[in-house]
Amino acid sequence: MIRVKRGNVARKRRKNILKLAKGFRGSHSSLFRTAKQQVLKSLRYSYVGRKNKKRDYRRLWIVRINAALIPFGLTYSQFICGLKKSHIGLNRKMLGQIAVVDNNAFEQLINITK
Amino acid sequence: MNDTYIPNKNTSKKWYLIDASDQTLGRLSTKIASILQGKNNIDYTPFLNTQSYIIIINAQSITVTGQKKYKKLYKRHSGQPGGLKIETFEQLNQRMPNKIIEKAVKGMLPKGPLGRKLFTQLKVYANNNHPHEAQQPEDITLK
Repeated sequence: MIRVKRGNVARKRRKNILKLAKGFRGSHSSLFRTAKQQVLKSLRYSYVGRKNKKRDYRRLWIVRINAALIPFGLTYSQFICGLKKSHIGLNRKMLGQIAVVDNNAFEQLINITK
Repeated sequence: MNDTYIPNKNTSKKWYLIDASDQTLGRLSTKIASILQGKNNIDYTPFLNTQSYIIIINAQSITVTGQKKYKKLYKRHSGQPGGLKIETFEQLNQRMPNKIIEKAVKGMLPKGPLGRKLFTQLKVYANNNHPHEAQQPEDITLK
């Protein structure tokens, strides 16, 4: 057979994985075989995390809206029902932001829904 | 402006006073846990401490409904064999009245370093007086 050198093929492959492992603790960022395991794990976690992130933020907005409704004597469920009935399509992210940043606008929203 | 608002760390403390006499145990504890976590603030963030301190007075006079006064059991185990100790609500109220509210609220707070820190912000006193007059707590009883 013809003599074949492996060249730098393997090194390039391993370099890609090690690049993803930057910032890991100890040998998990420098040794290829341990780094590969941790990189695979991290990719799995980030996939799940991207789905969880959407849930977590919606939870946060709902708690904040509930808190903002306390001085008006409303609950979140009543508020959302009022919004649906008045055909306001604002999502909870915006409602949460409005509640924090712009108190006046939030109050007017509530008056519309009542 | 498009990102969700995350507030800066809060450095000012808010003190609240609650009178526990003739309040139902569980119903009061949920409200306490809610305030400690800061869920009545519009800038609630789950990983930040809103620095709310709560003083409970008259913890001895907390009530429970039904037969629970004689039948609700508080259990603990010393770790040694045969070391299960059981007390009723009434007996614990006589021995250490603070423990009842503390146990109830502790189970309702989140478990973790922040939850443990929040638990230290709850001050329970069996009688009518508390040593925190200098903090000028705001009275929010009837909760």
